Amino acid sequence: MEIAFYLSGLVAVLATLGVITNANPVHALLYLIVSLIAVAMVFFSLGAPFAGALEIIVYAGAIMVLFVFVVMMLNLGEGVAAQERAWLKPRTWLGPAVLAAALLLVLIATLWRGDIGLVIQGETLTAKMVGITLFGPWLIVVELAAMLLLAALVTASHVGRMAPDKPATNRETGARGDA
Amino acid sequence: MLTMTHLVALTPLILVCITAVAVMLGIAWQRHHAGTAIASAAGLNIALLSVLVIWQMGPVETPLLVIDGLALFAAILILISTLVCVTLAHAYLEKYPGPREEFYLLLLCAAAGGIVLAASRHLATLFFGLELLSMPLYGMLAYAFRERHSLEAGIKYLVLSAAATAFLLFGMALLYAQTGRLDLAGLAVALTEDPNAWALAGAGLMLVGLGFKLSIVPFHLWTPDVYEGGPGPAATFLASASKVAVFVVLLRLVLVAPAFQGDWLHGLLAVLAVVTMLVGNLLALAQSNLKRLLGYSSIAHFGYLMVALVIGDGLAVETVGVYLVTYLVTTLGAFGVVTLLSTPYSGEDAAALHHYRGLFWRRPYLTAVLTVSMLSLAGIPFTAGFIGKFYIIALGVEAERWWLVGGIIMGSAIGLFYYLRVMVTLFLVEPGMQRRDAPHDWGVRAGGVVVLGLALLVLLLGVYPSPMIEWVKLMAVAGS
Repeated sequence: MEIAFYLSGLVAVLATLGVITNANPVHALLYLIVSLIAVAMVFFSLGAPFAGALEIIVYAGAIMVLFVFVVMMLNLGEGVAAQERAWLKPRTWLGPAVLAAALLLVLIATLWRGDIGLVIQGETLTAKMVGITLFGPWLIVVELAAMLLLAALVTASHVGRMAPDKPATNRETGARGDA
Repeated sequence: MLTMTHLVALTPLILVCITAVAVMLGIAWQRHHAGTAIASAAGLNIALLSVLVIWQMGPVETPLLVIDGLALFAAILILISTLVCVTLAHAYLEKYPGPREEFYLLLLCAAAGGIVLAASRHLATLFFGLELLSMPLYGMLAYAFRERHSLEAGIKYLVLSAAATAFLLFGMALLYAQTGRLDLAGLAVALTEDPNAWALAGAGLMLVGLGFKLSIVPFHLWTPDVYEGGPGPAATFLASASKVAVFVVLLRLVLVAPAFQGDWLHGLLAVLAVVTMLVGNLLALAQSNLKRLLGYSSIAHFGYLMVALVIGDGLAVETVGVYLVTYLVTTLGAFGVVTLLSTPYSGEDAAALHHYRGLFWRRPYLTAVLTVSMLSLAGIPFTAGFIGKFYIIALGVEAERWWLVGGIIMGSAIGLFYYLRVMVTLFLVEPGMQRRDAPHDWGVRAGGVVVLGLALLVLLLGVYPSPMIEWVKLMAVAGS
């Protein structure tokens, strides 16, 4: 299991390097998805399947899809098809694919050995235990997280507001408006 | 598990959160500026009263928070400065084009974060408190986001604060990896048994994260820009409540965790303290903007305060208490005047020193308040600042840390120059100057009354400090 941990950790680090060195946002996002899945694998190998599943569902699933959508929508209006074709060069998808293949290998190897509940040490943390901790002694942290999200939401909605009287065009980039 | 006693002890926090939720619902139902301000002020006042009641209870430890003397002391200071900010914001935002009510919501959330931070006895609440304190501040600093400077301040604080949080989290992760504990008491025990380099690195990284929020010198670069760009009430909150909360939690860490009491880290703290005082004061010399100047001055003041952290025994807690009270009252006064002069909102704040030239001949009372604040910041006798500085120097002399004492004296001498320069500007007569200004009914408005009250408090604490010192002593006894 240690091998799975270190391999996933290595993939996570390499994929994150890919995120920050890539100039193209969509390519960077591909790496980010791989990185998040690798972190989820790390959680699994540490015996926290609940955290791992959440990592995949919430981050790699919902949030990343949102990111990809927004980035794609911002690029509308240009030669989309040509760009899509340009993006599909091997040197674009090869990196994420190799890293994802490494993760798949780890997964298959673990399944091959047959023991699903295998962890490095300690006992497996189930969703029930997480729930009991979170809504028992850690209740205050849950409430604080709610306040934190409220503040973040209000901040974002306030700063992101468009002026009622001005045309909503960014003159420097033309990112919004007539299109 | 949370019991009834815990809930009672957490009343101030719960009240502030309830007020925030009520304000949110109120905004969703119908926007009303004055109503929102009054509701926020009422909620904060009730929370303040509840703190005074809980003071009788003695220390209570909930699973993640500890409500002791230190936490309640910090809660009182935070609630008072939030109240001052609400009052200032009400006048400031009156003419603000665009939604005004959200500011109070953010202010209340930040106050709740400060209370949690000061009461935390667990790394989880420490982190959440710090984030709940910082997150609304991004919004408050960028509140007038059509102003370039305000938006710049917000984004600068957001990016740098996120970097500092990353350091803090990494430090926590290292400590957790070493000890397997997240509560401060458990950490302290585990680290005493097995002190090693990783734990030291973790403690150092946490120090970086907290040092950023306190703008201790190598991490101070954001301070002047953010103070200058942020709207007046937001800058006031940043300079007062936010710093008090972070300093209290740092004090808690240093007092509790042995990793912070090692020689190496202690030496580092001492060097940082001296560098912070000197650099803060030297950089303030060249400023021509009052808000930037106050920003650098707050850097220097936290350099002085760190002396108490370095010494860390004897009167240290009492000194921190006295100094925080005097610093808070003075800073609120100074920022209050800057905010009142920029009231009502009409673009960038009037903070350049030339705005203040000859202010005495137009607004004598406001000038008096600012003069008292400057004298207090400089630590002149008969003002609150003198009492605070006296405590710090006494502590340094008693512990025979001559380098630190020398740093304080050097810093104060440099500081005197630029504080006096501001005061001279206030009284300069300008040829062809207007004798009167726009209608000034500021004195009868709530903001004016608060600022005048703060100036009187500065003088009162300077002349007759013993009630305050008694109160802080009670806090120090209950806290340790």
